[in-house]
Amino acid sequence: MADDTTLTVPHPAPDSAAPAPAAPARRKEPAQPERTAETAAVGPAGPPRGDVPTADDKATNFFRVAGKRRPPVAARLLAVVNRSLALVLLAGIWEALPRIGAVDAVFVPPLSEILAAWYDLLLSGQLLEHFQASLIRSLSGFGMAILLAIPLGLAIGWYRPVAEFLSPVLELFRNTSAVALLPVFILIFGLGETSKIVFVFYACAWPILLNTVSGVRTVEPLLIKSARSMGLGPVRLFQKVILPAAVPTIFTGIRLAGAYSILVLIFAEMVGAKAGLGYLIQDTQFNFRIPDMYAGIITISALGLLFNLLLLSVERRFSTWRTT
Amino acid sequence: MSLHTAEHDSAERITAGHVTAEQGPAGPVKIGIRGVGKTFRIRGSDRPFTAVEGIDLDVREGEFLTLVGPSGCGKSTLLDLIAGLTAPTTGQILIDGRAVDGPGLDRGIVFQQYALFPWRTALANIEFGLEAKAVPKRERRERARHYLELVGLSGFEQRYPHELSGGMRQRVAIARSLAFDPDVLLMDEPFAALDAQTRESLQEELLRIWEKTNKTVVFITHGIDEAVYLGQRVAVMTSRPGRIKQVLDIEFDSREGDLRADPGFGEYRHHIWTLLRDEVAAAQEQERTVG
Ligand SMILES: Nc1ncnc2c1ncn2[C@@H]1O[C@H](COP(=O)(O)OP(=O)(O)OP(=O)(O)O)[C@@H](O)[C@H]1O
Ligand SMILES: [Mg+2]
Repeated sequence: MADDTTLTVPHPAPDSAAPAPAAPARRKEPAQPERTAETAAVGPAGPPRGDVPTADDKATNFFRVAGKRRPPVAARLLAVVNRSLALVLLAGIWEALPRIGAVDAVFVPPLSEILAAWYDLLLSGQLLEHFQASLIRSLSGFGMAILLAIPLGLAIGWYRPVAEFLSPVLELFRNTSAVALLPVFILIFGLGETSKIVFVFYACAWPILLNTVSGVRTVEPLLIKSARSMGLGPVRLFQKVILPAAVPTIFTGIRLAGAYSILVLIFAEMVGAKAGLGYLIQDTQFNFRIPDMYAGIITISALGLLFNLLLLSVERRFSTWRTT
Repeated sequence: MSLHTAEHDSAERITAGHVTAEQGPAGPVKIGIRGVGKTFRIRGSDRPFTAVEGIDLDVREGEFLTLVGPSGCGKSTLLDLIAGLTAPTTGQILIDGRAVDGPGLDRGIVFQQYALFPWRTALANIEFGLEAKAVPKRERRERARHYLELVGLSGFEQRYPHELSGGMRQRVAIARSLAFDPDVLLMDEPFAALDAQTRESLQEELLRIWEKTNKTVVFITHGIDEAVYLGQRVAVMTSRPGRIKQVLDIEFDSREGDLRADPGFGEYRHHIWTLLRDEVAAAQEQERTVG
């Protein structure tokens, strides 16, 4: 309906066009004036340009200026301070509350004691041992999930009948808590490494699988149409359009899975293990080594944070084209 | 740079003299649309929905044809049919006398929405069609650069679509369709979303490119001015089901100077406006009863 008005209202005459905004002509491209000169030479193709700057010159200048702007150093520094402020505050409160007796220092020791315990654990090599055990398990499960769930998801998403056939089953499993299935894994695979790795794998596979399927299935139809109009067959369409378009969604799944891999592993290690960070906190709690327990918890948080940062940076490398 | 085209790009066919609007084309029929109709099946309704019906239209080689009609009359549908993206329900579409049986690189489309690949830079977007055509990598890059320059965007090679303005994106889309050198250029309201100034400069650029390359252009627009300004002929469509209501030859004594100020321009515009007025009213009435 808005379109219909365009039909009845004639366009404004070219000379009634608004004057160009006073965008500074910084870093004007060398190619630009050359082009204008040539357009003038071709001349009869259209109405005279006059001395009003053309809209594309305007656009060029605007983007030159806007594109190169960077936040000043001071502003960035402020942002860093701002973000770490909350952490510093938290640490301060943690230190202060037990010391002034607001909380029981036996159950919540001051942060400095915990850090000291953490350092001792590090020196004794215990921390490394548990850390390594956890890392190997979660990385194995997570890696297997990536290797299996992505190709499977691509296939399911690409073949519509397969997707429709499997979707009820996928929905069912997706809504079955992985944690609820741990006893099953232990029954089948025993209490050793295998059950833990399979457990992590299982928990990680779902977000990756489901995101891959939806990534493939929600590719902008216009892009597919556009590629088809350039004569692309199904295989190349998949390789050149579907896959790259699905990458961001797949990465969302991978990052979710990364978080899960640590989350569920800790749980599995608390239930039955002889090593690992989950075992460490469970064991220290039993033996009333409270500062050590907190040291374990902090290590888990750090591990999760590290994992997420790592995945984020990989993701950024793969999808520089995204607006966010 | 545009003048370098001839030496630079052997694949591009350059006519000896300019085919100017005044002369009008007299070449063989490039696109033959014969009794074409298209119906869609609508979910939850067993009556077929007729988008276009009984379309007969010939577009000659090297011609610039503009197509106007009320919203929803089936202009984009017709373009999809010519592109081979969908098959007609009745009738036939011929390119160079052969029935269209699918999309191909002999026809380039500029879609109503820009349809650039967001994960590809401006340059890589332009290379897309060349990859499909299996042009070697080095030549691909060179040609893409050339066409980016042609639409006035050199220096923006490495920008992603989201880093470009709407007008720039549309120019990249135009460059992409030009780069693989199709005989036919199908453009669906390519300048609709642009401000008046950008639109005018792109119109000029398009005419310049067309005059140089002798491509056959079918250009859909909502703007009567644009249709008269660009087209050698203007085809006016009826409201849905879309048919061709009238085809107007646009002739000016001279295209020099401000064409829009020519008294003839106003006459054409008024004529088309009158033709469309009734159709727009009919289309609005239809939308009210359907929606
Ligand atoms: N795939 C489809 N399925 C069902 N109906 C469709 C489909 N594509 C288009 N139509 C219908 O066909 C009619 C013509 O659509 P089309 O997009 O060709 O119109 P248009 O002339 O391009 O309109 P506009 O000027 O607004 O772009 C519309 O009523 C639309 O609802
Ligand atoms: Mg349309």
